[in-house]
Amino acid sequence: MTREYIHLKIKRQDNPDSAPYWEEFKVPYKPNMNVVSVLMEIRKNPVNANGQKTTPVVWECNCLEEVCGACSMRINGVPRQACSALIDKIDKSPIILEPLSKFPVIRDLQIDRQIMFDYLKKVKAWVNVDGSWDLGPGPLFPEKTRQWAYQLSRCMTCGCCLESCPNYNEKSAFIGPQALNQVRLFNAHPIGKMDKEKRLDAIMGPGGITECGNAQNCAKACPKEIPLTVSIADLNKQTVLYGLKRWLYK
Amino acid sequence: MAEKKIIVVGGGLSGLMATIKAVERGVKVDLFSLVPVKRSHSCCAQGGINAALDTKGEGDSTWEHFDDTIYGGDFLANQPPVKNMCDAAPGLIYTMDRMGVMFSRTPEGRLDLRLFGGVKKRRTVFAGATTGQQLLYACDEQVRKWEDAGMVKKYEGWEFLSAVIDDQGVCRGIIAQDLATMEIRAFVADAVLLATGGAGMIYGKSTNSVINTGSAASAVYQQGVYYANGEFVQIHPTAMPGDDKNRLMSESARGEGGRIWTYKDGKPWYFLEEWYPAYGNLVPRDIAARAIFKVCVEMGLGVDGENKVYLDLTHKDPEFLDNRLGGIIEIYEKFHGDDPRKVPMKIFPSVHYFMGGIHVDWNHQTCIPGLFASGECDYMYHGANRLGANSLLSALYSGTVAGPAMVDYIEGLSKSSKDVDKKHFERELKRQQEWHDKILKMNGYENPYKLHEEMGDIMTENVTVVRYNDRLKATDEKLQELIQRWHKINIEDTSSWGNQAVMFTKQLWNMLQLARVITLGALNRNESRGAHYKPEFPERDDENWLKTTKAKYTPDGPVFEYEEVDTSLIKPRPRKYDVDKEATMND
Amino acid sequence: MSLFEKNHFFIRKLHSLFGVIPIGLFLLEHLYTNSFANQGPESYNAKVEFLQSLSYVLYIEIFLIILPIIFHGLYGLYVVYIAKNNVLQYNYYRNWAFYLQRVTAVVTLVFVLYHLWALRISSALYGTEVTFASVAEHLSNPWIFAFYVIGLLASTFHFANGLWAFLINWGIAVGVKAQQVFGWITGFIFVILSVMGLQALFAFVA
Repeated sequence: MTREYIHLKIKRQDNPDSAPYWEEFKVPYKPNMNVVSVLMEIRKNPVNANGQKTTPVVWECNCLEEVCGACSMRINGVPRQACSALIDKIDKSPIILEPLSKFPVIRDLQIDRQIMFDYLKKVKAWVNVDGSWDLGPGPLFPEKTRQWAYQLSRCMTCGCCLESCPNYNEKSAFIGPQALNQVRLFNAHPIGKMDKEKRLDAIMGPGGITECGNAQNCAKACPKEIPLTVSIADLNKQTVLYGLKRWLYK
Repeated sequence: MAEKKIIVVGGGLSGLMATIKAVERGVKVDLFSLVPVKRSHSCCAQGGINAALDTKGEGDSTWEHFDDTIYGGDFLANQPPVKNMCDAAPGLIYTMDRMGVMFSRTPEGRLDLRLFGGVKKRRTVFAGATTGQQLLYACDEQVRKWEDAGMVKKYEGWEFLSAVIDDQGVCRGIIAQDLATMEIRAFVADAVLLATGGAGMIYGKSTNSVINTGSAASAVYQQGVYYANGEFVQIHPTAMPGDDKNRLMSESARGEGGRIWTYKDGKPWYFLEEWYPAYGNLVPRDIAARAIFKVCVEMGLGVDGENKVYLDLTHKDPEFLDNRLGGIIEIYEKFHGDDPRKVPMKIFPSVHYFMGGIHVDWNHQTCIPGLFASGECDYMYHGANRLGANSLLSALYSGTVAGPAMVDYIEGLSKSSKDVDKKHFERELKRQQEWHDKILKMNGYENPYKLHEEMGDIMTENVTVVRYNDRLKATDEKLQELIQRWHKINIEDTSSWGNQAVMFTKQLWNMLQLARVITLGALNRNESRGAHYKPEFPERDDENWLKTTKAKYTPDGPVFEYEEVDTSLIKPRPRKYDVDKEATMND
Repeated sequence: MSLFEKNHFFIRKLHSLFGVIPIGLFLLEHLYTNSFANQGPESYNAKVEFLQSLSYVLYIEIFLIILPIIFHGLYGLYVVYIAKNNVLQYNYYRNWAFYLQRVTAVVTLVFVLYHLWALRISSALYGTEVTFASVAEHLSNPWIFAFYVIGLLASTFHFANGLWAFLINWGIAVGVKAQQVFGWITGFIFVILSVMGLQALFAFVA
């Protein structure tokens, strides 16, 4: 779509306790822009569509090449990375920018996703090595397994999966697909799997694996195309078998 | 004895590794980072990490790795620390492998190796084309484990403002600011490590992340730390130019068989292969960047008349590409639209890495006792040009040196920082609070982001691939003008909550100071060495310039000193890539 | 930790299991029995009589039908409550199935309670017999008939889609392709059961 101006409608909020409000902006069009570069233009000239001076819009971004996970926001209602949202590929006008709705807003489009890292702690998303010293070559690991595990390991904790999940909300204790996916990842690693049962224990209580209702929006929302629903199904298998074992060997 | 504490500033690979090493020695760490550490810039590293594992029957050795690194760096690096790094590399890789990094494997399940620039043997371990991300995540996970165990406390979303230095000149803590609440606070520590990365933002657009302003390094430079070899800035030959940043297209693309070409007389011209038959497309980055620059800017042979050449992978099997280079193929597809499996990528050189940085001793301590630096923000391992896949190695390795060195340092301290007179902290806190309040009141007419753009433009124009003294002089004058105009900024946003503009204005001040160090360092160095190339002085001049540049801050601008380079292990020899390395050894 | 929390995994798996065994199996049996209505009143009445003549029929009904339905239904209501549906924003097939699973849960529950009252409990209380004729009379009210059509479709959808979810929740269908294939199969099951049920319904009012 060619245009003279890029028309943005942004949901703004001055601080966590204040009410949100909408502000519109018109930024001169250049080819090959993305949502981040448009926001950068606003910073250089913080004037809204009505020609009034305003404060620069606050948002998070870092790598700008979709590997850091910082710039998640809702763009025309869909959670995605602002850096890879190319203006030339967005047909709608105005382009509506909103912060992710499942996390507390810090300011404007900036949100607090600390809880996702807390979930990683909860599920023990690490290989419990004895120490960082040199013990010689690590265990052999089949390339075939490595290839799918690598897909899982590319999760950048961006929050799009949680944003789109109908069962991830303030009524539910669900930890969501990202942390579950890490459980599958570490349970596949030759050393990581030694703590497999600890991780499964962590996801078999309230808020764990059973809260998934298979709406499968997560796999569609994931910018890294991680097969989150496969991870969850695989963990279903792992937890069912482990649950039986836990019971029968009591 | 009071419990001693270490502060690590920066949660990239180096900071995280130093944290792990310090915690393993039983010392608690407060970890400060602008962003959640998992989002640090290390995640952008793509191609791999070097270690002479010699698992391909090529007779590789750590000495060979060491020699390639010194030779590739045009002999400017002090040699013993580089040798130590290369010797430690295999063990470090094995450790990372145990921590769960999804390194690509051979059919028998061992670590696979690939070829990289400036070398002739396969030495680069990799995880697809997102090796940095994978290494970063492994360290992030280990630190999370320690956080869970109560040994690490993270301050994510905090910005380092300055070091607290007592009257004896010893570092006793830091001043940091919460980016949401804007609270400025003093933190006590017995040793402080800066692992704050590079400074690509000085050039406006680079392959760096937006947090890579070099602001922290500049802040301690302004507090008396030396900044070394600032003029050595790596220009990566293959990046995809963009409106907001230049996106890296990893050297591993060429390591896996990618070819660089453009049209000449209507036919594809593989100029790197023609000019450098011994190394072909895998010449080091400074060489490749200059060649592309020459073809486009001097010969006017860029693709479609623009400053771009082809990086071609279309002759490779698509499945092979997805498996080995998936990460960059995805980036190119998403941000450019074309499919690199079918259409050659269009690339141009871009600012990428800072070989220079904070001057440290071989234990990574600065001239201020108790203040350490590691990772890209130090100057140690790459000399005048860094070899591809050595940055992840130096980031990790320097962390393994700095962490234990800090513990050794604090064990030898007679007085804990907790017992130091509070006035030192209050004094520095007051200085930073006043600086903040002053910026918040700025109501001139300049926009900080526009000033930044001007700085980036002139730096990119004059202080990158090819450097001329008259232009460097003009650049420094422009930088001084920008510093004057900085005082005329209108802050626009006076909010006391989540104010990004005021933080950026502080960073901009620091970037401008560092930009002068880079520019004047380049102006002074009348020779060509590694990434620093002056057509007026096209030869390397060991007699006068085999020296480390050391810049010291004064309010009137940087003052330069020079230090001998330790070349005790490998005698400097001419560096040329049209012939094999062995041929240069007889010169 | 409460007993409820401690046995969370077991309870959730039981909820999932009950939907298939015994409730799903009962649904299959029930639809099959009803299909004898197609063959006329005698055939249907004979089957009903046979079922009612089974030994321990009351216990079977209480322990294999009523109690599982109560548990599945009550816990299911909680599962329905916890979701925050977003089909308009994420207009995907699976998300719609997720939403419909919850809608049909409520519809089915209401339908089953009414159906149970009308054709089982009231007859037990008042001693009236369930025969082809009494069912036909019950369904002769067009409103009730329409409600039965809706209730039937809700039940068959809830069962078929629930079977798909069961296969995933028990880790039987794991891969993307396997999940897709089972999606087709359970979709087919939904169509077959719906046709079977509708035929029987229309047989009563024909």
